Amino acid sequence: MNRTKLTASLIGAFLFLLAFASLLYILLPHSQAEGYIADIYQDGTLLTSIPLYDVDASYTFTVTGASGCQNQVEVRPGSIGILSADCPDKLCVHQGFISDSRIPITCLPNRLVILLRPAKQSQTDSSAVDMITY
Amino acid sequence: MSIKKLTTLALFTTLSLGIYAVESAIPPLVPIPGIKLGLANIITLILLQYGTLKDAALVLTARILLSTLLFGQLLSLAYSLAGGVFSLLVMFLISRLLHKKMAFLTGAAGGLAHNMGQLLVAFFLTATPGVLTYLPFLILSGIITGFFTGLVTAFLAPALHHPGFQR
Repeated sequence: MNRTKLTASLIGAFLFLLAFASLLYILLPHSQAEGYIADIYQDGTLLTSIPLYDVDASYTFTVTGASGCQNQVEVRPGSIGILSADCPDKLCVHQGFISDSRIPITCLPNRLVILLRPAKQSQTDSSAVDMITY
Repeated sequence: MSIKKLTTLALFTTLSLGIYAVESAIPPLVPIPGIKLGLANIITLILLQYGTLKDAALVLTARILLSTLLFGQLLSLAYSLAGGVFSLLVMFLISRLLHKKMAFLTGAAGGLAHNMGQLLVAFFLTATPGVLTYLPFLILSGIITGFFTGLVTAFLAPALHHPGFQR
């Protein structure tokens, strides 16, 4: 009985710590970048990279997979999202538009992943030093 | 297998499939693939607690095959099997370690294992390391939903000892 209690406490503590660590990770502020680059992957290969900070007007395009599945992607200044898809659950559409690297957009049935990564600091960081002269 | 056992397991499979169907009619709460309540896991946990590993494995396999046939697509079979089997083995281990007590711990560990199994399949299928970004979300949701699955199982215990439900 005592051993069972010890085992239970260990398992409970392990699960609690794991949940707590995940919660902290989710809630803690992530490093904010000035601009992001969207990488679009399908079946693990990088299809295209779009610098979102460099987009002036919204536009859409369609990503067609090897099996013929389609996702219509809309690029807006600073954000990206999936407008429509032929996958059954439409989770990728419901996720809406993303503008930071916290959660990627994934369409599992069509094996499409859109990941944002911070652009090089020097390109958009307005507080950076422009030039140093002696 | 006796006729009585066969009938009982068939009943549990039907219950599990029914719960699964109702759950898939609920719109997703969070737009993250893989996060769901996992209510059908209640049946697996009940069979592990009050039956054998074989009972639970049979009902789980039957439920996954039937639900894929009825509601899903072939791809979801890989996710369901990976999550289901991994979760079954972890829950078996924990429930025996705890001598079938404190089902909420078994449930939480099972929910966690289910999500980890699914994430692993997603990782191999999409071949994109980026899907690992979902790890903290899936850990948290697996533990929380599994905890409640375990509680439901514990609350069902008195009803299952009812004379009308002797196996």
